[in-house]
Amino acid sequence: MGEVKEEKTSKSDEVSEEEIPGVITTTTSAIHDFLKKTKVQDLINWGRKNSLWFMTQPMGCCGVEMIATGCAHYDTDRFGIIPRNSPRQADVMIISGYVTKKYLPALKRLWEQMPAPKWVICMGDCSISGGPFYESYSTVQNIDELFPIDVFIPGCPPRPEALLQGFVELQEKIKAKKDRGTEY
Amino acid sequence: MDVRKIIESLTGTFPEAISEAMAESEIRARAYVDKEKVKEVCQYLKDSLQFDHLCSVCGVDYIKRNEIEVVYHIASYDHPVVLMLKAALPRENPEIESIVSVYWNANWYERETYELFGVMFKNHPNLKPLVLPEDMLGEWPLRKDYKGFPNTTARNLV
Repeated sequence: MGEVKEEKTSKSDEVSEEEIPGVITTTTSAIHDFLKKTKVQDLINWGRKNSLWFMTQPMGCCGVEMIATGCAHYDTDRFGIIPRNSPRQADVMIISGYVTKKYLPALKRLWEQMPAPKWVICMGDCSISGGPFYESYSTVQNIDELFPIDVFIPGCPPRPEALLQGFVELQEKIKAKKDRGTEY
Repeated sequence: MDVRKIIESLTGTFPEAISEAMAESEIRARAYVDKEKVKEVCQYLKDSLQFDHLCSVCGVDYIKRNEIEVVYHIASYDHPVVLMLKAALPRENPEIESIVSVYWNANWYERETYELFGVMFKNHPNLKPLVLPEDMLGEWPLRKDYKGFPNTTARNLV
């Protein structure tokens, strides 16, 4: 599914050219590639879109709204959206603030720690275009060239309802197989 | 302690190091200090004039005068006077004595002035960037001739 996995399987394809007679060998990515052509993928996507666990990783003032969205008042659990503490357990990363040059390596590392399939949501003006800090010496510009972002949520900061709307849009994209997190 | 008494005491003790000393009001004083003598002046302020609280250390880039000024705001817990002490440094090679041994909280202020203006503080115990990443060292972003501002987002759209 992810890029790393496919590299590994392509290498193992070269190694396992000596086929055992009478045994059909296959790989995980080959199974996934086969499933993507069938109706089973719709069922898998239905499961994925209804369990979008997001990583609680606040980066700016939008992070406060993100935490508020995860709290009991907005009840995101009804969409299957649950805040998680660890990137290992998360499906969605929310970039919720300006990305400084010092923080970008840590953010990339968090993104690499998340298991595939994974999605990114850009929340707030700062992460979309820099916001008030677009001309700063310390912020990274054009974050959409670094991460495959599915949904942009404008606002400074967006309301929790707007973030929920963004999640619903992401669910629609996954359902329609138009998301950038999975390779079809 | 009166603001005039403070200025008289300061100029009387350091007649060569202190220049342009004046009282702006009853609670504000300002003076220029020679960059070689800043540590001795701060020690005297702390020991004899009850200036026991360093508020801030920052830098100002005067590019037309070809100078960088380091500004110390020093206040007291005993009297209401706040002293603004300035030291003018040449822009090519800004070097000044560190005052960490007098006021311990100058440590981080001097590190930040170092990473943003490139002012070298001599005898600083740990002179490395405070907030900026290490690979931005040498760009000195708050100097007036800094050219590294990004222009890849909104400016292209206007």
